[in-house]
Amino acid sequence: MAWVSTLGTYWEPTLAHFLLLSAAVFCIGLVGVMVRRNAIIVFMSIELMLNSVNLTFIAFARYRFEMDGHVFAFFVMAVAAAEAAVALAIVIHVFRHKRGVSVDDLQELKY
Amino acid sequence: MGFWEPLFFWIFAFGALATSCAVIVMRNPLYCALTLIADFFCFAGLYVLLSAHFLAVVQILVYGGAIMVLFLFIIMLLNLRGKNLEPNRFQIHYVLASIAGVLMFVFAGWAIFSAVDMETVAEERAQYAECVEVVEEAAETEAVDDAEYGACVALVGEPDEWVPHRVDSQIPNLSADASEEAVEEEYVHRLRQWKAGTATPAEGKYPSFDPDRTFELPPSLEPDPEPADVVPGREGLYGTFKPVSMMLVNRFVIPFELTAILLLASIVGAVILAKRRVT
Repeated sequence: MAWVSTLGTYWEPTLAHFLLLSAAVFCIGLVGVMVRRNAIIVFMSIELMLNSVNLTFIAFARYRFEMDGHVFAFFVMAVAAAEAAVALAIVIHVFRHKRGVSVDDLQELKY
Repeated sequence: MGFWEPLFFWIFAFGALATSCAVIVMRNPLYCALTLIADFFCFAGLYVLLSAHFLAVVQILVYGGAIMVLFLFIIMLLNLRGKNLEPNRFQIHYVLASIAGVLMFVFAGWAIFSAVDMETVAEERAQYAECVEVVEEAAETEAVDDAEYGACVALVGEPDEWVPHRVDSQIPNLSADASEEAVEEEYVHRLRQWKAGTATPAEGKYPSFDPDRTFELPPSLEPDPEPADVVPGREGLYGTFKPVSMMLVNRFVIPFELTAILLLASIVGAVILAKRRVT
């Protein structure tokens, strides 16, 4: 029954659990940014990555018994809101010009 | 921590992972946005588990409310269909990107698990539970081994200033088991230290640029004079609205104002970008 005690060790969440979860969600968001061609979904993946970073901030704040991380997470949220507003305005602009929101249509800046 | 708190952690953790995967897998952006809302709710639950009550509310209001309404609004407005949706066929860069993501996760996990030792965590927990038993038994029977009792009191504290389930782990173990009460007690203790001027800058709490010069605030901006007395009978402060706002208007006032300017600039920029012609 060694696996029961092992499971018991990992059952209660510690800081490492939160960090691993946050890393996993960050990597999922990263894959989304690389894979998806729809600009709106790329922005959603970026929101996902920002959220995972917030989770890291808050987990470390709790671990250190301090609240500076909460303030940083608050700022990240404010910046994410600003970013979403501008990004979606750009998406609308692109849709007007190209009749589509695929990032494959936007390669002029690459060359 | 008991049974329910870890259970909810696992529920929210797997919910967050599943909905995150759904966000990047779904073909229709509308479904992506809806699963992303579910994801934000899972994150809000995790914030509550970390005693960040204010941020959990802000998460739901700002992310789940404002930002996602904006996304849904744009998705409905554009009404993507047909050739504007992504092709429903396999592409080789899906595999390559997934491998890159998994590699990055393995790297992060290696970095975390090189710092954490779960066996030490288990040992610390067992030792703590044992000491709780010893101290409780001593409170009842008065007949115990003095040396053992002293070591145990050093770990878990005197019975009259009892803080349930607190383990002071050092950084290498990354365990940080602490109940809600323990977090709040520690936080209030730090606030008092800072108020009394005994907090050292090395603790990272409100350092001033010149360590010899005391850092004084106008009375209207002073933080809680005696945090325990603010809400009689309840010292619940950590993660609530009051200390966060105190920090926003005290120590982080310049970033706060800059964020306000950033939001204003982004509003103006969004309007200009979305207008058909600026005249």
